[in-house]
Amino acid sequence: MRLLTHNMLSSNIKGVTNGFPLRIEVEKVVEKSVDFNPDFLKNMLAKIEYKALVEASRIMGYAELPDHAEPSMLESDDFLRKFHHALMELHLEEGTLVCPQTGRKFPVNKGVPNMLLHEDEV
Amino acid sequence: MAVRQASLGGVDVDLETKTNVEKLKRGIAEFYDESSGIWEDIWGDHMHHGFYDPNSTISLSDHRAAQVRMIEEALKFASVPEDPMKKPKSIVDVGCGIGGSSQYLARKYGTECTGITLSPVQAERARALAAAQGLENKVSFEVADALNQPFPDGKFDLVWSMESGEHMPEKAKFVNELARVAAPGARIIIVTWCHRNLSSSEQSLNPDENKLLDKICDAYYLPTWCSTDDYVKLLQSLSLQDIKAADWSEYVAPFWPAVIRSALTWKGITSLILSGWKTIKGAMVMPLMMKGYKKGLIKFAIITCRKPE
Repeated sequence: MRLLTHNMLSSNIKGVTNGFPLRIEVEKVVEKSVDFNPDFLKNMLAKIEYKALVEASRIMGYAELPDHAEPSMLESDDFLRKFHHALMELHLEEGTLVCPQTGRKFPVNKGVPNMLLHEDEV
Repeated sequence: MAVRQASLGGVDVDLETKTNVEKLKRGIAEFYDESSGIWEDIWGDHMHHGFYDPNSTISLSDHRAAQVRMIEEALKFASVPEDPMKKPKSIVDVGCGIGGSSQYLARKYGTECTGITLSPVQAERARALAAAQGLENKVSFEVADALNQPFPDGKFDLVWSMESGEHMPEKAKFVNELARVAAPGARIIIVTWCHRNLSSSEQSLNPDENKLLDKICDAYYLPTWCSTDDYVKLLQSLSLQDIKAADWSEYVAPFWPAVIRSALTWKGITSLILSGWKTIKGAMVMPLMMKGYKKGLIKFAIITCRKPE
């Protein structure tokens, strides 16, 4: 699971109003090289929850991403490359996503999150 | 009437219904965990009907092209823009199978697509297939429930459900979720199996019709069917716009005979024997699908709409 995906997942348990972002518990992180696409990244900055990305990337072991991002930073190749690495190249292969409100754990196996709810959670 | 109503999700579901829903979801997951491999082996990564010119003769190799055409025809029907400024930038594939549509849509629009399925085997296979095609950075897959999608509101420009709607036990909830995750201006495309529309004097299908559908439901892990009109009414109730619906049964007519023929080949038979009882049962019920279409009971439907800006 890339952090781009993590940035769009939220806990959908009944009654949860604050299900994003899911907290990450790491068991295995894999770094996979992805072609650098500045135009794509420039588009994505406005669409993602940047703070959630920063927190998630730190938990995944990457601390290079600045705390805050301004649109002007998109002119910087250095920033774009860090943004690219965090968003696209860090994969959670094994681990858990945790609902921030209830603490309920959603497993991630072989890079695939399992977001199925139990009967009493719908 | 109560059964149809419950299947639409128009009443509070009681505990027995809830348990049945859980059983159904498990059954669906297990069916696809067991059957996906054999389907992929013989038919490839698109787990949906092909779109054919009526009365055409087709060879097996044409079916893949027909399956791709089905995707294109559906996009065209829904008037999904291709203009670089207006084309979809984020896509969800609801009931993604092994990712055939996800891959195709991600490539076509050059954008992100995420797919959800109840089957862990399918999700993993989808991921592997996408990686093999170099699309790992464009498509992602999650094991998730279409009735409780793990996404915030308004996330996707294109909400795609290609032959998964027939598995959804509460149609109202299903449609509600499709609308919820759709961004303002997004298009929602549902291609699914429905039963014929009821006339104004009918409350339900006749007993023989229900009997036929029950057998099919049992083998394919389908809940009670609804009609195309039912979907249209649900979309209207959510104030969705540009609602269009069509019966594409004549364009998919060659499909089931072709699937049956492929099952009766040496490869088909041996694969079925090796795959498991659920898959075999599914294969045995295929003639009933043909019967249903022939009687005008089963319809291959497309229903599309747009979420208001």
